[in-house]
Parts: sequence; structure tokens; C-alpha cells
Amino acid sequence: MSDLNLDRRGLLGAGIIGAASFGLGTGASAKNPAPLAPHMTKADYAGAMKAFRGVVGAEWVFGDEEAVAPYAKVYVPDPMNRHVPIGAVCPESVEQVQELVRIANQYKQPLWPVSTGKNMGYGMTAPATPGQVVLDLKRMNRILEVDADLGTCLLEPGVTYQQLKDYLVENNIPLWIDVPTVGPIASPVGNTLDRGVGYTPYGEHFMFQCGMEVVLADGQVMRTGMGSIKGSTAWQAFKWGYGPYLDGLFTQSNFGVVTKMGLWLMPKPPVYKPFMIRHPNMEDTPKIIEAMRPLRVSNLVANCNLMMSASYQLAMFKRRNEIVPDGAPLDEVSLKKAAKANGLGMWNTYFALYGTEQTVGAIEPIIRASLTASGGEVLTAAEMGDNPWFHHHATLMEGGLNLDEIGLLRWRGAGGGLAWFAPVAAARGVEAERQTALAREIVEKWGFDYTAAYAIGWRDLHHILALLFDKSDAEQEKKADSCYRELVTRFGAQGWASYRTGVNSMDLVAQQYGAVNRDFNARIKHAVDPNGILAPGKSGII
Amino acid sequence: MPETDSTGLLRGLLASGAVAAMALAAPAIAGQKLGEPQSIRAPEVIYAKTCGYCHGRNVGPIILGRGLPAESVKYIVRHGQNGMPAFRPTEVKPEELEALAAWVEKSDARKGEHGQ
Ligand SMILES: Cc1cc2nc3c(=O)[nH]c(=O)nc-3n(C[C@H](O)[C@H](O)[C@H](O)COP(=O)(O)OP(=O)(O)OC[C@H]3O[C@@H](n4cnc5c(N)ncnc54)[C@H](O)[C@@H]3O)c2cc1C
Repeated sequence: MSDLNLDRRGLLGAGIIGAASFGLGTGASAKNPAPLAPHMTKADYAGAMKAFRGVVGAEWVFGDEEAVAPYAKVYVPDPMNRHVPIGAVCPESVEQVQELVRIANQYKQPLWPVSTGKNMGYGMTAPATPGQVVLDLKRMNRILEVDADLGTCLLEPGVTYQQLKDYLVENNIPLWIDVPTVGPIASPVGNTLDRGVGYTPYGEHFMFQCGMEVVLADGQVMRTGMGSIKGSTAWQAFKWGYGPYLDGLFTQSNFGVVTKMGLWLMPKPPVYKPFMIRHPNMEDTPKIIEAMRPLRVSNLVANCNLMMSASYQLAMFKRRNEIVPDGAPLDEVSLKKAAKANGLGMWNTYFALYGTEQTVGAIEPIIRASLTASGGEVLTAAEMGDNPWFHHHATLMEGGLNLDEIGLLRWRGAGGGLAWFAPVAAARGVEAERQTALAREIVEKWGFDYTAAYAIGWRDLHHILALLFDKSDAEQEKKADSCYRELVTRFGAQGWASYRTGVNSMDLVAQQYGAVNRDFNARIKHAVDPNGILAPGKSGII
Repeated sequence: MPETDSTGLLRGLLASGAVAAMALAAPAIAGQKLGEPQSIRAPEVIYAKTCGYCHGRNVGPIILGRGLPAESVKYIVRHGQNGMPAFRPTEVKPEELEALAAWVEKSDARKGEHGQ
């Protein structure tokens, strides 16, 4: 780690102490303002906010406690109240973003950019370090282009999946969108920038991104790929451009503010057929993954599969105390009973076939044979009918919209607490088996449940553990925080680090990736953003 | 539109180009137009495309037909409650929220909604 990096990190540490000594609640108050970035004075902050108002108008700058409240709500554990923004500013154009960035440099006021700010379970709009003003891009929500022949679109950051879907449907354009589970209120741009996932064959979102426009920390506008060539028609058609591939630098990072993004959209296939594979035992984990891997690697099954545990599935639509009494452990017998009563197994794996009658008809028997041999029941709409879980996943796998999974947030008590833990492994049964055992040991030690799933990618596994807790209970919040940290470090020690994490743990996850990688990111950061005004702390980069 | 022969996909795609070209020439009147930001939405639309995904569908409690005071609706939208996320003025505009809250207060219960 370079000296400069250490200095910056030290400064941010001062901010943390500030937050603790103010004893903030979920937000700040006039008497107890949220701490400023450590190098800033009250006059700097006031000057920056005044100048922001001059750019976007007073009605789109928020500074007092009540006005900032919608930006302060988080699901993640934050027992120290570190992740509280001190304001928000909401531009409506690229030119306004440029102006705001220049002002931020002048006053050294850090800005935390969000597109739709629904990074739920990762921090919503809350920043990674104290003293940041949210740069809320939701007002920039124009759909700039949709090319029905090429299956591409160009979007501003504030366009939700719902807006894009509505546009395609209203204009009879037979292209699909690919949604994360919470599509209606989230955005293609925000999700892709955090390298999120969905469940059609276009589910690895960053893979299907093509071309960006970025406002750099010095206020310049840069276009990636073919976007900087005057007259090019290939900005949304050819990803790589010339020379080093730049787009990745702007994902999960703090090197620029993305103001436009191109995406590929999947043509609606003539035939779509969703499947569910029901396995009866927790111990079936390796068998399922060994059976799915060849189907995924060969792309016979082309979408990202969700292999959902019974507990995760039940937590979507049930409350914990419907299954076991409050305070009792979530034992396997009770779980199995509840799962069975709802048409579920202990593992429920969802995938779909996409194509023509002939291609689907040809692939289905191959898939049935290998999944039946793994001990699973192969089920379709014919058997599952209107089962709410099957319906939910069948909707997702065709890019449909719902918010069913928000039900997870009511699992325990008053609910409202969720932190996603998402370590990656290669798609091998034995790795999943070991991960499940380790995760269960840790969460159960802290009194939480193993509500988890595996997303089976092309060759990888994302183990998705929903750490669910009652956020109204301060003790539980503290335990959730400690539990999360133990998960990160003990998984890290086994070679399993997260693909993405919440603002509560960005630094800790960055540590798992090692000093050389951290230092390289820091050197880029210092070169492109010498005043550190863009999202300090994002992915542990300062 | 299930197709029965393997050229169906290609035909579907070609057709889509034609449909889209027409659509681009004459964008739908009701919805968002290409190149323009979303305009102010009616309460029914916001309910259908945001609130109603949870409320009345077992995820959140029923809110229609209960005479919920508009002031409470506004507060909860901006702060979130328990598992509900908060919605910012950039997501539900101040004037949209005024109309939405009044509409929720006066709304009738809907058959088919269920909530806990
Ligand atoms: C029940 C539930 C289920 C979920 N399921 C999924 C799922 O299936 N898949 C999945 O991926 N996620 C899932 N999530 C997590 C999350 O809600 C989604 O990923 C969501 O899409 C992220 O929020 P957003 O789209 O509003 O992005 P934002 O919150 O706008 O952006 C995410 C982050 O990207 C960066 N960023 C955003 N915009 C910019 C910009 N313009 N310039 C620079 N940096 C920027 C910021 O660091 C920001 O915090 C789930 C959450 C919940 C609660």
C-alpha cells in the first residue's frame, strides 16, 4: 500500500470516529449533524451545497435531516451509523453532472453516485464512508435508443427495468429485458455497474453491456468502445473498441460517473419452457451441481440457474414463526415438513429452455435424463401449476417483473435487516458442499438461519446467502455485523471471496483480494481522481 | 407466439424489425417516449408499477380501502417502514406523492388483494 493511500485511509478513519462520537441514529439532526468528510469545514460544505443549488435548483438539493431521510434507509447492518449520507444532489443532464463534479473538486466534497439507488442488501444509496453527498441520477431517465434489429439499447442511469419493459411492450418490440429479482424499482445501468445478475440467458449483465459514456472526475466526458468515433454506428454493437478495454474500470469502482450505457437485449424466443428440479435432501448439494455443470458449460442450459434452499424459498412468503417457534433453531425436520406442504424440496433448482419447438424438444430429454439420475424430480408448469414459487421463478427467467422476494425482509420479527453474502467458487459439487457446511456453522453460531441459494453460472457458483435479521433490535444488528465479518474472513481464508459486497464491508472484502491488487486500484484512483471526490471507499478504493 | 418450425425465430426477428420501425416513427401516445424523461404519472400507475408489487400480494400489508391518512402514506413512502425501502423525491416526485397519498386514503378495497 502506498503512503498516499495510507494518508487517505487515515483521514477517512477520522470520519469514522466522528460518526461514533456524534452517536448518530438512523440519520443526523440539526443538533447532531452527520460528520463531514474529515478534510472539510462547515463552510466548505455550505459552499458546495450552495453551488450545487445554483446548478440543479434548490428543490433538487437535500441537506437537512428530514430531506435526507430517504437516502439514509439501509437494510445492511450498520451498528456504528457510519453509512449516513450528509446530503443529496439530483442532476437532470450530463452537463449538470459535469458542473457538479467541478464544484465537488473545488470544495473537495465527495459525491456518491447512484443510478436508481435500490442496491438493497448492499447499502441502497448509503455511502461507504462518512461525509458523502449522494449524486442521485434517477432524474436522468431517458431511453435514448432501442434498435429492434440489433437487439440493443442506450439508456440513461435513471431508467428502471420497469420503464424499459413498458417501452418495449407499448411499442410492440419483441425484445426481452433481463432482470435482477427486484426489477421494477432497480435499473439496468445501476445493476450492471455493480456487476449484478439476472436469470435469462443474458443474465451476466456486464457481459451484455456495450459502450458507456462517463463523466470523469475532472469533468471531461469520455465515451468507451466505438463511442468516441464520430459517425460510428457500432457503439452498441462492438464492445471492445481499440486499445485497453476501459468499461470494466467503471464497474464496482469510483473512477467516473456513468451517464449513458449501451446494453444488448435478447430477442423473444418462439418457445420458452421453465423447469424446476426438486431434490429431497440438503445433502444433495454436490449431486445437483455435478449434474448441472455440463449442461451449463455446454450451454445446453443457457440461463443462470438458481438452486434455492427450502429455507430461502420459505422466507420469501412465510414468516419464521410459522415454521418454528420464536427462539427455536430452524431445524431440518420442521423445514422439510414446511417445504413439502408447499410443494418444495430441500433444494429447488430453476432453469429454462429457450428456442424453437425443435431445439427445445431435442434438448429436453437429455436434460431430463441427467437430472433424474441426480435424484431430482423434473417438474414443469404441467405439474407445478400456480405454485407461487414456481410462478415467481418462471416470471424471472423470462425477464418478468415482480418484487416477491422483498418478502424476505419480514422473516424475523419486525424485519428490515438483510445483508447479502456472495462468495464465488468454481462450479464443483465438492466446493458447494464445503461452503454450505461452513456458512451454516457460522450463521447458526450467531443465531441466524442458512437462508441461501447457489446461482450456477457458466462455470462458476455464486453462493448467495441472505443474512436476515430484525433491524429494530440493536443487539441483533450488532450480531449480524459480526457474523457478516466472520463470514467474509473465514471464507476468504479458504480461497472464497465475494463477487460483490455492501457498503458495510467493502474494505474487508478488498483485503481478501490482496495488497498488490488494492495498491493498483489505488494508483489508478489517485491518477484519475486526485481530490478523491468520487465515492471514496467504493470496493475499498480510496 | 410459439412457432412450429426452425425458421420461425428468423421470421419473428425480421417481423420485429418492421414492427419496431413503425413504432419508432409513431411512438405510443400513453407511455414514455424515446429520448424524453418519464412524465408525471397518475396514482393508479404508480400503484400498479411500484406499490402494488408488494402491497396486496402477501409481501406488504394491504393499503387500499383502509382510509390510511394521506400524511402517514407520505411519511412511510419517504422513510420506508421495517422491510419496505424508502422512495426518494427523484423516484416518486413530490407532486406525484401528494396525489398518490390522497388517492390511497380515498381508495376502495380491491377484491383479489391479499396481505399479511
Ligand atoms: C430481495 C432482493 C433480491 C435481489 N436480487 C438481486 C438479483 O437477483 N441480482 C442482483 O444483481 N441483485 C439483486 N438484489 C440487489 C440489488 O437490489 C440489485 O442489484 C439492484 O439492481 C441494485 O440497485 P440499482 O439497480 O438501483 O443500482 P444502484 O443502487 O443505482 O447502483 C449500484 C451501485 O453501483 C454504483 N453506481 C450506480 N450508478 C452509477 C453511476 N451512474 N456511475 C458510477 N457508479 C454508479 C454505485 O456504487 C451504486 O451503489 C436483490 C435485492 C433484494 C433486496
